[in-house]
Amino acid sequence: MIGDIVNIIETKDLEFEYQTLDDDGKVIESNKVLKGINLTIPKGQFVAVLGHNGCGKSTLAKHFNGILVGSKGKVFVNGIDTADDDKIYDVRQNVGMVFQNPDNQLVATIVEEDVAFALENLGVPPKEIRRRVDEALNTVDMYKYREHSPHQLSGGQKQRIAIAGVIAMEPDCIVLDEPTAMLDPKGRKEVMATIKKLNREKGITIVFITHYMEEAAQAERVIVMDKGRVIMDDEPKKIFSRVEELKAVGLDVPQVTELCYELRKEGIDIPQDIITEQDCMEHILKLFGKDVL
Amino acid sequence: MLKDITIGQYFPGNSIIHRMDSRFKIVLDIIYVIMLFVAQNFMGLAVAAIFIFMAYGVANIKFRLMLKSLKPIVPIVIFTAVLNLFFIKGEGNPLVDWWIFTIYWEGIETSLFMMIRIICLIVGMSLLTYTTSPIILTDAIESLLSPLKKLHFPVHELAMMMTIALRFIPTLIEETDKIMMAQKARGASLDTGGLMKKAKALVPILIPLFVSAFKRANELAMAMECRCYRGGEGRTRLRQLKASPIDFAVTALVLTVFGFVIVNNFIF
Repeated sequence: MIGDIVNIIETKDLEFEYQTLDDDGKVIESNKVLKGINLTIPKGQFVAVLGHNGCGKSTLAKHFNGILVGSKGKVFVNGIDTADDDKIYDVRQNVGMVFQNPDNQLVATIVEEDVAFALENLGVPPKEIRRRVDEALNTVDMYKYREHSPHQLSGGQKQRIAIAGVIAMEPDCIVLDEPTAMLDPKGRKEVMATIKKLNREKGITIVFITHYMEEAAQAERVIVMDKGRVIMDDEPKKIFSRVEELKAVGLDVPQVTELCYELRKEGIDIPQDIITEQDCMEHILKLFGKDVL
Repeated sequence: MLKDITIGQYFPGNSIIHRMDSRFKIVLDIIYVIMLFVAQNFMGLAVAAIFIFMAYGVANIKFRLMLKSLKPIVPIVIFTAVLNLFFIKGEGNPLVDWWIFTIYWEGIETSLFMMIRIICLIVGMSLLTYTTSPIILTDAIESLLSPLKKLHFPVHELAMMMTIALRFIPTLIEETDKIMMAQKARGASLDTGGLMKKAKALVPILIPLFVSAFKRANELAMAMECRCYRGGEGRTRLRQLKASPIDFAVTALVLTVFGFVIVNNFIF
């Protein structure tokens, strides 16, 4: 049973299909989005999920806290079956979720009220709400904006408020569904830094869905999905060295990896598993016989 | 920009009236409105008017803002005044009797009386929205209506809807702005033509706006579910509404004025 405690999320042969029904309730069309997913995510890990549009990555994410329940197979969160209606709020409190559009997930007209929303729903006493809201706002570095209204904030700030609203629940895991997709570069950096901080300092497990390769490269583990299946699951360096396979499923690699890949093709001796700019710079300087500046 | 409009016209401050429990404010506002209708002579009305002007002074709200709240009702005030002026038939001789117009002294009196009453009414109600933030107002309404829960009236749901509506007003205004610009960029003319043409020009703005509002609603509902929303039962609040001695003192003051207005009706 030790395995159940270490793994925060576990899926077993998970399948999901969308069905289109006609007026009589008969199925006229069904579209299988997930085709047998087997995954285990250990506590404290920072996992990035990559995939082309429509590969099922968002659908998969919605299974992690029981918003969707598979048509076949099971999902366990801390050993609890997400199909168990009696325990659904335990599941949702343990696995928080942040969505793409920051505007559509803030409920209240004042920042601190919004951060308190989940705690109010859980029936936490007011004094404890106050404490946790302040702590969450400090963690995402938005405490001084606590009395602002959301529409006065930038996209990155709004997204950090959404994250604060989730961490106030004190979850073990946060699932982020393309949280940076609608942000400008500055907002993306802010959100990314916040997520990494949560993972590093609070030990919160992060499942980070993205289509920015540079962001995925910062994770500990990368899962690549295509057509409802997990096709790769490894550490970023190993994933991104498989340039051709990634391109075949419509994905890119980080720019530096691409550069090294092209250089290798030209017969230049440079490792393929380079994913950071620093690494790339060092290797290229070495080629010129110079040391790191 | 459309974005900068103030919603519910709230002006933050730290006066006694700002700090009052919003439930008291609502109830006292209702009492004040009743008082205006109970007052049957100028004396009573004058007391009510002076009272509300003093309240504005205490709340430290500028006279200019008070006038601003009156702007939309100017036509109604004038309409009421004119009607009363010409249609009230008094005893004795009319002051003016020209063509179809006859004005009696009583007419002037009544129209003046009505004008003051309507103005006090609006000024009094504006004080509530000027000194209370919309979200606290919603909380107070939820709290005041909570006895209706026994009759299965969806009090919590109503308050939740009001909160969400308030939250999304600026977002949707911004979106309308964007859609209008996008349609203009494609050659839509929104400001020209007759009334019918203008109304028709709104269709390509409203349809995308509605589609997007439904999408937002869908996503918001999911986000709320993710944050364990399950209706009003067992819910706690970050901000507790609490009555303080100030609230009782102000209530006593309002009731005293109310008593005076009633007594005044019998004496004069």
